[in-house]
Amino acid sequence: MINIEIDGKLVETQRGSTVMDAAHKAGVYIPHFCYHKKLSISANCRMCLVEVEKAPKPLPACATPAADGMKVHTHSEMAVKAQKGVMEFLLINHPLDCPICDQGGECQLQDIAMGYGGGASRYSEEKRVVNPKEIGELISTKEMSRCIQCTRCVRFGQEIAGIMELGMANRSEQAQIMSFVNSSVDSELSGNMIDLCPVGALTSKPFRYTARSWELSRRKSVSPHDGLGSNLAVHVKDNKVVRVVPVENEAINECWISDKDRFSYEGLNSAERLTRPMIKQGGQWIEVEWAAALEYVANGLKQLGNSAGAEQIAALATAHSTFEELYLLQKLMRGLGSGNVDFRLRQSDFSADGKLSGAPWLGMPVADINACDRFLVVGSFLRKDQPLLAQRIRQAVKLGANANIVHSADDDLLMPVANKAIVAPADFVNTLAQILKALATVKQVALTADVSQVEVSDAAAKIAASLASGSKVAVLLGNFAQQHPQAAQIASLAEQIAALCDGKFGFLGEAANSVGGYLAGAVPFAGSVHGMNAQQMLEKPRKAYLLLNVEPELDMHNPQLAMSAMKSADMVVCLSAYKHHGMDYADVMLPVAPFTETSGTFVNTEGRAQSFKGAVKPLGDARPAWKVLRVLGNLLDVPGFEFDSSEAARDEGLNTAAIADKLNNHMGETKLDVTVAGSGLQRVSDVPIYSADALVRRAASLQKTHDAATPCVMLNGSELQKLGIQSGDNARVTQGDASVVLTVQVNDQLPQGAVRIAAGHPATAALGAMFGTITVERA
Amino acid sequence: MEKIKDFFKTFLLVELLRGMALTGRYMFARKITVQFPEEKTPQSFRFRGLHAQRRYENGEERCIGCKLCEAVCPALAIKIEVAEREDGTRRTTQYDIDLTKCIFCGFCEESCPVDAIVETRIFEYHGEKRGDLYYTKPMLLAVGDKHEAQIARDRAADSKYR
Repeated sequence: MINIEIDGKLVETQRGSTVMDAAHKAGVYIPHFCYHKKLSISANCRMCLVEVEKAPKPLPACATPAADGMKVHTHSEMAVKAQKGVMEFLLINHPLDCPICDQGGECQLQDIAMGYGGGASRYSEEKRVVNPKEIGELISTKEMSRCIQCTRCVRFGQEIAGIMELGMANRSEQAQIMSFVNSSVDSELSGNMIDLCPVGALTSKPFRYTARSWELSRRKSVSPHDGLGSNLAVHVKDNKVVRVVPVENEAINECWISDKDRFSYEGLNSAERLTRPMIKQGGQWIEVEWAAALEYVANGLKQLGNSAGAEQIAALATAHSTFEELYLLQKLMRGLGSGNVDFRLRQSDFSADGKLSGAPWLGMPVADINACDRFLVVGSFLRKDQPLLAQRIRQAVKLGANANIVHSADDDLLMPVANKAIVAPADFVNTLAQILKALATVKQVALTADVSQVEVSDAAAKIAASLASGSKVAVLLGNFAQQHPQAAQIASLAEQIAALCDGKFGFLGEAANSVGGYLAGAVPFAGSVHGMNAQQMLEKPRKAYLLLNVEPELDMHNPQLAMSAMKSADMVVCLSAYKHHGMDYADVMLPVAPFTETSGTFVNTEGRAQSFKGAVKPLGDARPAWKVLRVLGNLLDVPGFEFDSSEAARDEGLNTAAIADKLNNHMGETKLDVTVAGSGLQRVSDVPIYSADALVRRAASLQKTHDAATPCVMLNGSELQKLGIQSGDNARVTQGDASVVLTVQVNDQLPQGAVRIAAGHPATAALGAMFGTITVERA
Repeated sequence: MEKIKDFFKTFLLVELLRGMALTGRYMFARKITVQFPEEKTPQSFRFRGLHAQRRYENGEERCIGCKLCEAVCPALAIKIEVAEREDGTRRTTQYDIDLTKCIFCGFCEESCPVDAIVETRIFEYHGEKRGDLYYTKPMLLAVGDKHEAQIARDRAADSKYR
């Protein structure tokens, strides 16, 4: 630690830190543009010039290392003169279009110009004009002339997003920020560049001209998408959400959010919103009052329960629902005498149920990821499924950690991957067994019989060697591994691998409440009444289904099975924010509020419960789902449904102080099946980032991005040759009793025998399970 | 002594005659009453009357929807909605001034970066039913179009003090 004096204040700061860091500690504000605490130092805006005693010239605070005994003046005559001079230069080419600029009112340049700018410009020559560039559907660069070349966006791409999609071309007055020729900015974190831009050069395209910053009310919320639970500020104008920006939380999302969190708000104002309760009568949908709709549902469920038994009633909910909704749903079901409730819709292996010691979670706090030095990520489309967790792993890798991958696809993670084993889905267990065997050999530990019989491949040995050499190891299971038909075996092996190298073992949460669902008891093996899991409910069709925010053809592991079960049911009740495909088979549609219109709680993947309030009033006659479930509970005479607020429901179901005791990834003995896959093509399914939940599916701008393109059939070159199909042709893909025609794309990173077809998309919704054999033929 | 003086003053109607003398003087003095509406008082070029929206000489409306007038209006009399026009420029889709709320402070005019919203010399306007004084964008533009010559003259006269 060294001592440094800033504006007469003595501060202690770390050796190697800069004057800017010390000033932050001292609470002294130094004006700046290019400096950002999460990005590297470039010192090119020169706005942070300060006077340092004994230095002949002003020095940039962001790039000057603090030295012991240094005396800095940030507001002395020399410093202010330098800062004013810089400001005048910056304003030479900056257009005077603040009145029409979306950044107006929240612009760093505008703010600092108030303090350091002159009243009038001395510059009378022509101003520089930069032609607008087209860089995609999310970021508008229509006014690139506003750019002050701070290069924050460039550095963000290189350092945080992992891919340099914007760069600065040319020099001096010709210098321009642009993307590479004819390419757009496609990073799943690109929206952060809008926040980073200190001027209005990069602005949000969907938000363009909708509001000025002073008209907006800012309300805190939590992301309902991936398992991270990013903290959001929802900006509201006239009871309508018009923008979403991050709220800084170093323990969760730092100061970033993914594009999914940022732009999904468009789905809230979608024309597909369901605004009135509806009942289908004689094949026609009619709008009714809430009382009538709820009576109808209550009577229907009561009659069915009396005639066919309560176990004929099943409830499915997405993990994007709030804790309160999930808790009340399972309470309602158990009150009716049915344990058929589940939120793990895309899971296919439920053999771990009952053997779990607690709710599966990340196994460590999110912030600890940065400190790990060895990763084994099993079955994860990391960047698309958990964009910000991927970013944290990227930062760790940058500091020297090794990332090891076991997966069926080899998408670019935009970080150096030390070792990877790209295998067909059916070989997952075998591959992990190989790694375990190799690791046990290194650590000289005895093996169980089923593991010792596998043959260790080169890749597995390398991964094992990498893990064995680490001091802080994390073994993480992604969405793909959790959806895998042998998920329990994969988890068991991963746990053993982590245990052998004294590492952490965790699950990357797929959705906002992937942990919360377990805590709420929205699983068939919790509570007093046990029942069927999500798959059994479909395999043995029930007479009535209660669907909470679920679109069965897109959200389920096996949409084919789901659809046939729904169509054969006597009564399907959809609690949904949207009019969706369910209108074909449902009997009642109840409009419930999405996350901005209800209060609730999400328990994120590290087990952190985050409650939020509604930001706007529910649209039309929509109501928060917890209220709907509460009234249903009352109408059905289920005791214990007298809640005045969502907080009361939360407090009954969740002891926030004791969550940690309920998180446990350990599971009992699991029998391993290490046989290698036979012949035939196997499906590999990802859930595309902008198809993952009901809200993003309706976010108009996100749906125009490359990530939301219609899915293709992907195979590697040699498989294509065998089938006699060329890349770009159409192919007929058949699974179960349905087939669809999709465009073929060659993807040589895929293992032999694997066919990659996205799930969760209308184009592939007719197909069956996310895993399993599939046939591809020329269409 | 004073009492006696007062008695005679009252008795001789001195105060009354003094008053009558003043009245008599004004009876023959030059009249200053303005015979409205035949006659009108002179107005400053800064007179703050009915609002108008101006256009550029090429017919393009000046307003760019920056909403500064809406933000500055102390009576919350202005309501603006903005959207991107087909040609990509920022334009208002709604610009309403509720003249029954307006206190004619002139802040809107002062805050406007493009001199789009102005207050004219017109003060003899009225409404016959509720809502007549709720001026919408076409109404404001019509006022501007009709009086542009006078408005421009007034702005020019004021420009040297700004």
